Amino acid sequence: MKLSLPKRKSKQGEPAPAEGDAVAAEPELSRSERRARKTAAAKHHSAEGAKDVAGWVDSRTNATGIYTALLSRHVPKGTNWFYTLGSATMFIFAMQAITGVFLAMYYVPSTTQAYASITHLTNDVWMGEFVRGMHKWGASLMIILIFLHMGRTFFFGAYKYPRELNWVIGVVLLVLTTVMGLTGYLLPFDQRSLWATVVANNITASGPVVGPYLADFLRAGPEVGATTLSRFYALHMMLIPGLIGALIGAHLFLVVKLGTTAPPWVRGTRPKGALDEQSVPAGVPSSDDAEVPVAASAAATDADPAATESAAEPPADAPADADEPDGDGDGQRPAAEPDEGEASA
Amino acid sequence: MSDSENNNSPAEDPPRVTLPDAEPRGYFEGESMTRRKVFTTASLALGGVASMAVVLPVVGFAVAPLFERGRERWEAVGKLDDFGSETYKQVVFTETPGIGEVGKTTAYVRKGNPEFDEDPDEYLAVSTRCAHLGCPVRFVQAAKNFICPCHGGVYDFEGKRIGGPPVRPLDRFQTRVRNDHVEVGPRYSVTNQLKAVRARDPGEFTGGIWEYLYPPRPSTFPPPSN
Repeated sequence: MKLSLPKRKSKQGEPAPAEGDAVAAEPELSRSERRARKTAAAKHHSAEGAKDVAGWVDSRTNATGIYTALLSRHVPKGTNWFYTLGSATMFIFAMQAITGVFLAMYYVPSTTQAYASITHLTNDVWMGEFVRGMHKWGASLMIILIFLHMGRTFFFGAYKYPRELNWVIGVVLLVLTTVMGLTGYLLPFDQRSLWATVVANNITASGPVVGPYLADFLRAGPEVGATTLSRFYALHMMLIPGLIGALIGAHLFLVVKLGTTAPPWVRGTRPKGALDEQSVPAGVPSSDDAEVPVAASAAATDADPAATESAAEPPADAPADADEPDGDGDGQRPAAEPDEGEASA
Repeated sequence: MSDSENNNSPAEDPPRVTLPDAEPRGYFEGESMTRRKVFTTASLALGGVASMAVVLPVVGFAVAPLFERGRERWEAVGKLDDFGSETYKQVVFTETPGIGEVGKTTAYVRKGNPEFDEDPDEYLAVSTRCAHLGCPVRFVQAAKNFICPCHGGVYDFEGKRIGGPPVRPLDRFQTRVRNDHVEVGPRYSVTNQLKAVRARDPGEFTGGIWEYLYPPRPSTFPPPSN
């Protein structure tokens, strides 16, 4: 059986071959069929269709597509509860952001009023103690969750190719989170806050060459003072959360783009038609002639035209080579069931 | 047939249409600086200028304190008679104004002691800030030592390090006498030979090759000459 190969569409002039070309087949629709489609589309975008607000939004934003990519994407077999640590960390970050915004409604970043405003919101404001408690304990929880998430990534080998960049982004996020901890610790401006900040600045200053200047930058001067508090407040409220949010976006984008890894104890399953590593020594393509056309046609049955084209390429010269001895390296790509091949290195 | 579909023709293809020499000069077929390129470069440059116009002032605003030195403050801490040369007296004064109690710091003040080749008319103010990580040290009269409670740093009567993790002697404050009162002024650090240098943060060396890791900061006061 010989496959008819779709030819590449030429850009200009030549009439496209009709077989296997969906675009060329489009004008073949009957007039009534075209009218029906047009009406359906018009109805979908008309005021009648707007009753379905979700559909109206979806047709303009592809929201369901985004939803599918984010939440209905394929995950490997063996995905388990350890894979929720990243989402848990992100949830805590959201909690910190929300509680932080509401704490800022009562907090006064002034050296003379900061402590009083904190005691006021803790003791007097309804639920203030609870909201502040969530923020305070959430900070510690976020650090713990980040390390657990990091440990999961490390022990599952999920930092390896192609996910190294996501590991790097994650490390930057960890550093930024500790900076959040450092800057937030000063804000109550009690004795413990102040001296923790003094010591942290002294540690910063003991870094070689840039340390003294970095400490001066953080303190806004040679000693911890009034400007230090405003500075830490601005970093804690605006700069670092913005950076963390942006980097979480990049982190998630890469997770969705690259997918997640299976746990190391789950054996990977080869997709249909994948190469058998043993039958393909590096640089020496092997052949498995008898199987090629069958496998290719099997793979092509339920694929779209583009996939058919690429999948159907190998058998192009297969019939010509059919009577050659196996494994002579004639540049032919094998696309057969790997275990049935006789080339075994 | 199908070669003609490639408009970016390879070099060996002769141009299908031979144009006359361009007038004015500078316009020619295949010019490297196309209109598109000019506009791309120009908009990137304009965007860069606009961004820098925002970013540079803001960053400068944030790092300015590195290069600013506060006003020099002097504060009277006691009468001349209050201080002897055999022991220290603890005084509290404001080092960082504007932040209330936490801006205060502690120093141990005494008169110069001829036993240590000091001018008997001068007054010494030794900071309690440990040169390790900044914990407050305490003067123990029985041992005539300064002892840090945090990590066991020990300094002798002059404030030189004799044990523990600190890397240099205790800092000092400048002193002067006004109206029968001792006044303390800006902080300065000292080397192991008690030579005055600009104030360093705790944990930073003031001698040996390591001092080059910790350059003096412009936000600190110049040391008194000695």
